[in-house]
Amino acid sequence: MSRYLQRWTTPRGIAAQVAILLGVALAIVILISANQTQALVLGLGAGALIAALALSITLNYQGSGVVNFSVGAMAMYASYIYFGLRTDGKLFLPPIPNPLALIEGVVHLFGAPGFRLPAFPAFISVSNGGSTSYSYGAAIKTAAMSAPEAMVIALAECAVLGLLFHLLIFRPLRKAPVLAKVVASIGLFILLQEIVVLRFGSDAQTVSPILPQHPVSLPRGIHIPSDQLFLTAIVILVTFLLWGIFKYTRYGIATRAAAENEKGSLILGFSPDFLAGVNWVGSTVLVGLFGILIGPINQSIDPYTVTLLVIPALAAALLARFTSFSVTVIAGLGIGMASSWIQYITNQSWFPKVGGAALPGLSDALPFVIIIVVLMLRGKSLPTRGSIETIKLPFAPKAKRALPSTALFTIVAAVLLFVVTPDWRLAIVNATVGAVICLSLVVLTGYVGQISLMQMALAGMSGFTLSKVADAYHIPFPIGPLLGAVVAVGVGLLAGIPALRVRGVNLAVATFAAAMTIQSVVLGNPAWSGTNGASVAPPSMFGVTFGPNQPWSKIFGGGKGLLPNPWFGVFCLVVLALLILGVVNIRRSRTGRQMLAVRANERAAAAAGVSVSGTKILAFAISAFIAGIGGALSGYRFGSVTADYFGAVPSMLFLAFAYLGGISSVSGAVVGGMLVAGGISTMILTSWLHVSDQYTLLIAGTGLILMAIFNPQGVAGGIRELSHSLQARRHAKRGEQPEVELQEVSS
Amino acid sequence: MTTMLSTTGLTVTFGVNKAVDDLDLVVEAGQLVGLIGPNGAGKTTTVDAISGFVPCRGEVDFLGTSMTSLSATARARAGLGRTWQSSELFDDLTVLENLQVAAEKISTKGFLRDLVNPRNDDVEALEKILASVDLLAAKNQLPTELSHGQRKLVGVARALAASPAVLCMDEPAAGLDSTESLELGGRIRSLVDGGLSVLLIDHDMGLVLTVCDVIYVLDFGRLIAKGTPEEIRSSPAVIEAYLGGGSDA
Ligand SMILES: Nc1ncnc2c1ncn2[C@@H]1O[C@H](COP(=O)(O)OP(=O)(O)OP(=O)(O)O)[C@@H](O)[C@H]1O
Ligand SMILES: [Mg+2]
Repeated sequence: MSRYLQRWTTPRGIAAQVAILLGVALAIVILISANQTQALVLGLGAGALIAALALSITLNYQGSGVVNFSVGAMAMYASYIYFGLRTDGKLFLPPIPNPLALIEGVVHLFGAPGFRLPAFPAFISVSNGGSTSYSYGAAIKTAAMSAPEAMVIALAECAVLGLLFHLLIFRPLRKAPVLAKVVASIGLFILLQEIVVLRFGSDAQTVSPILPQHPVSLPRGIHIPSDQLFLTAIVILVTFLLWGIFKYTRYGIATRAAAENEKGSLILGFSPDFLAGVNWVGSTVLVGLFGILIGPINQSIDPYTVTLLVIPALAAALLARFTSFSVTVIAGLGIGMASSWIQYITNQSWFPKVGGAALPGLSDALPFVIIIVVLMLRGKSLPTRGSIETIKLPFAPKAKRALPSTALFTIVAAVLLFVVTPDWRLAIVNATVGAVICLSLVVLTGYVGQISLMQMALAGMSGFTLSKVADAYHIPFPIGPLLGAVVAVGVGLLAGIPALRVRGVNLAVATFAAAMTIQSVVLGNPAWSGTNGASVAPPSMFGVTFGPNQPWSKIFGGGKGLLPNPWFGVFCLVVLALLILGVVNIRRSRTGRQMLAVRANERAAAAAGVSVSGTKILAFAISAFIAGIGGALSGYRFGSVTADYFGAVPSMLFLAFAYLGGISSVSGAVVGGMLVAGGISTMILTSWLHVSDQYTLLIAGTGLILMAIFNPQGVAGGIRELSHSLQARRHAKRGEQPEVELQEVSS
Repeated sequence: MTTMLSTTGLTVTFGVNKAVDDLDLVVEAGQLVGLIGPNGAGKTTTVDAISGFVPCRGEVDFLGTSMTSLSATARARAGLGRTWQSSELFDDLTVLENLQVAAEKISTKGFLRDLVNPRNDDVEALEKILASVDLLAAKNQLPTELSHGQRKLVGVARALAASPAVLCMDEPAAGLDSTESLELGGRIRSLVDGGLSVLLIDHDMGLVLTVCDVIYVLDFGRLIAKGTPEEIRSSPAVIEAYLGGGSDA
């Protein structure tokens, strides 16, 4: 009794009580209004889908310790499998990496542009396509395959895919660091989405009903389509099933035991591998089923909407600590219904308007708020004994001879800007800007170990400020981008607050939700950013304008050069060089040592007198500042700031590229910059290897997965290790002891 | 004699389990105080509570001021040092850098200066500390390249680098053989003779009985004996706890 009293009178306990009371009050208000209850009820379908995705996340986590960012993509993918079968009787195939494509590329390189090798098929016909009839002048296509048939085949494919994901991706990663698993699931996310875009395009497709859709009347004149009720019933049923399995069968108990430690399941006679595999198959079929069933409720399917529902699903799974199925489902349904209600409320006349329209994206902000509140209440400022979850990151070397090598690199790149063709010039600019964003992750993730999936959104905030404040109020050039960076720092700190109490993959989830919120509330808000994004004026100083589209004169040939203006590229390179030197100095100084100490062991760092939260805050600020500068540069580069380019998914991709390049070193950031979409690697693929640029993201996704599995050190780390081992071999040949002077390894 | 560190009524509970129960403990200036007890007696938890890593009830006073409301970082900065049972080194930093982290204070001005011109101050002092534990040769190595005993010594050196007034050492001798352990005891003794106050923890009585001035004995979180090594050696309660507990001492 007194223990309960004690618990409820702590500041946290009081906060929780206040929250519960407010929640109950709000619920009563909502339930009194029939319209609001109606809005709430109409969120059931989406809620059921979110709940199913969250269940799947929980299953994957229990089975293989992976927080799967790609569940939404998987559900979306399944809906397209079904769609293809049902409408055309065709099973679509992913573009299998075709080794012949490289041969083709090489042949083209040697001047035989007409040369074509047979391509792999894109579809397999399972039944003859439906016939088209005309009535009242409209084409009506009869379905090619019955719904149950299509469903069975689609779900069978989901099962196979789930098994493949386990065998090919997540089993090899079982003992890998958290970050590698996050990157692999990001890779899978991109891969699945791109396959669908390649096969079906990115436009929405109408789907025919599956479950009966007649309206069901509830008391007080409230209606709900029956399919939403069915969906809810199914997800509740599945929950009961899972609960029963996990509580009473040896299999479930073994999985729970395995989630705690591997030996547990072995005692019960199951190999953890087998359990993980079964969980992957089960969870993939589950999200597949819901992905298919939600299509008719949303009336159409597209490659993006359901994919991004992973964010509310992650919020629900997090709320249930990746363990309790019932809490997961209640949270999922709750989030779906609350989102629907928020949309209704924001459209009411009394709700504050921006530019005459409802403030968009508030329902996207909901998961973010939930995640922050829950994690903050639950988290601890220092990890408790025994719960130290280090995210093992690659070695962070001190750069040797940083000044001369940065100068040399900058000069070479600058000279290249003037001699290469315009498309290569653009690629160099893109890579430079990309490297700046990757550099922001080197400080935050590489040095301090805080996984952030919001860097592009922060960059976007800076570009947005540049457009809306600096340009609008004629603030001159160097102050404008700096102001943008300062705003990015503000937003970054706000969104980074959870990092003070939250670590590892949970922080990744929180920052991802933050990115989604920034994207839909600010960058994608038509009232603020216009439909084509917020425009950014080119930079100019002392009367000289050096934007990318500024006409320029060739230095030797005279006359007008082709755009983009290489001087803009030089400007970007100088900015990158300065930032690189700053980051190199951070690594060499006490600040860097304290950062690495926090990354290695928060408790020991605190015992050594390091302020763990101070160091994290500093890292978030520095990183947001760098990302902000990167955002200003890309604002200049594109002349505008759009939600597409600076949203949640690009933020996610940038973490992956930075990781791929080598997240713990400055040189890794430069490599990462070359890898980003539109950077050097894209140019190599498209202009040398003649891979169509629609495949670049697909290749990037595959590359991410492969890299996470085979080379967690990143490209830069891999090169470093290689040179290290070559050096060692050379020493061994001469019969010397290899020197293990770590400072001597240049980065 | 001035009291450096004291606890009054220190109690730590995990759920229903009282890991430390109403412990009063005093470390006077220039004293080497031992804290022993069988496995799971609550020794590490005591140090965690003193150094601010676990919430506790009761009072922790350091140099006459209460530490109870201070964070672990603030306690460390006030001069209350500790080492860890399992070294807990910064594996990504070299041995010297490990010490630097503990020795350096960070400031806004320092940060801005470092951005332009990073400097390494006071390396000589740290090298002296490393030399005192025979680790100078390893200063540019990573902790992962060292032996277990060496890692433990780096942990001690790192704690010393912060120049603490009181140092709580959690089983520094664990994993060392008996000669190494005695050598370590000698080193700790000379630190204490140099003015440091030490709370030395061990679950093995050997080391503690040879070097300590005062010894506290814990069992199941409770203080069962306190006194000089001679008194402890002959205390029936201690013999009972160690023999009855089936411990290896
Ligand atoms: N974070 C924790 N949560 C729950 N119980 C804990 C926690 N930390 C320690 N305990 C329990 O507190 C008791 C005391 O543990 P402690 O580690 O302090 O003992 P110890 O004397 O240091 O033992 P050893 O000689 O093995 O190091 C043990 O029963 C242990 O299981
Ligand atoms: Mg202990």
